[in-house]
Formats: sequence, C-alpha cells, structure tokens
Amino acid sequence: MRRYETIFIANPDLPEEEQNALQEKVRSLLASFNGEIVKMEDWGLKKLGYAIRKSSRGRYFLLDYLTESPALVRELERTLRLNDGVLKFITVKTSAQVTKDQIQALKAASQAEKTIRVEERPSAPEPTPVPVPPEVEKPEAGEEAK
Amino acid sequence: MKPPVKRKRTFQRRKVCVFCADSAMKIDYKDVKTLNHFVTERGKILPRRISGNCAKHQRDITRAIKKARNIALMAFSVVSS
Repeated sequence: MRRYETIFIANPDLPEEEQNALQEKVRSLLASFNGEIVKMEDWGLKKLGYAIRKSSRGRYFLLDYLTESPALVRELERTLRLNDGVLKFITVKTSAQVTKDQIQALKAASQAEKTIRVEERPSAPEPTPVPVPPEVEKPEAGEEAK
Repeated sequence: MKPPVKRKRTFQRRKVCVFCADSAMKIDYKDVKTLNHFVTERGKILPRRISGNCAKHQRDITRAIKKARNIALMAFSVVSS
C-alpha cells in the first residue's frame, strides 16, 4: 500500500451544497478504487499566497489516503482538474510502502481520534469559561474607578 | 613570504543547522509557520550562508517551500508598495 495526500482548494464562492457534493464525489471515488481514507480535513477558508482565477481566498481540503493502485491517483486528479469548483490541487506521496501493521496502527489512531471527538462533542457546547471573564472584568473596572 | 592577512568577518554565522540540532523538528510543506523562517520578506528563499542550514536540510526546505508555493500556501513573490 502506498500513502498519498492530496490538498485541493475549492472555490469559496461555491455554495455549501456544491462543496459538500465535491467532498462526497471524492469520497465515493476513493471507495470505488478500494482506497482507504486515513483522514479528511477541512482547513476552512484561507488566504491564498497569490490570486488563482482572480480569487484571493480558497477553501482548503486535505485528503490523506492509502491505496494500492496508482490509477486512483490518476482518476482523482482527473476529476479535480475537470471540476470547475476546484482552483488547484497537489498530490504528494508520503510513503511508498505501508505495511499491514502500520495500516492497523493508523486505523487504531484514527478511530481513537474519532472516539475522542465524539466524547468531546457534548462537553464542547457547555459555555463554562464564558461567564468567567465578566466576573474578572468587574473588579478590574472597580479598581480603575477607585 | 608574507603570511596572508585575512580580516575575519565581524558577524558570526549560526554554525549548527536548526534541524540537525533538534531532531523533533520536521520539514513539512504544510507547515507554513516554520517555512516562513527561511524566506525573506519578499518571499525569496534564504541562502544557506544566512539560514545556517546543512546541505541536506536546506534541500528539504527548498523543496518544501516550492511545494507550498505551488498550492498557494506561500507566495512566489510578495509585492510591497
């Protein structure tokens, strides 16, 4: 198995549905070629180093995946090139040989990450640190007034 | 025979490559913060005599910067007014 990562920049002017559709397309393509996704990151809107097609911002996506066939990479790059919503993309081979043990370790790591994320989710919306700042600010304001 | 008198440069350059000194530091084209230490304000890659990198790591840095430029994480040139 080889490990690749592909970064692609989606046009930020694209509606949200099309962004999601693009992600789905990439995912289904990987699935059809028996590629395994290690992680799919959405970096969000970032300022570009230079304007691409007159756009100074872009939405970055990082795709980290394992595959046996170089055909997948070819097909993925082809679809990205044909998609007008993609400003630019780059594919980098991060590892030429990934052994079965490493694959299992990666899977375990990604699953652990997922479980952590799921556990964190309910605690995240709790606005515990929010009420603290006004309390701190109040005495400060009082001291200034004195 | 006169012994050659050579004036030493007044500044001393960093002798050790940062990446050799700290093996925990990895060169990655996605890590723009680190790469920004090795370019000028204009976005040009700093030469080895200034950055103090060893040949190997300078090569890695150069490649990483070029990759980062390709995917617009870094600028090819910064035009200042």
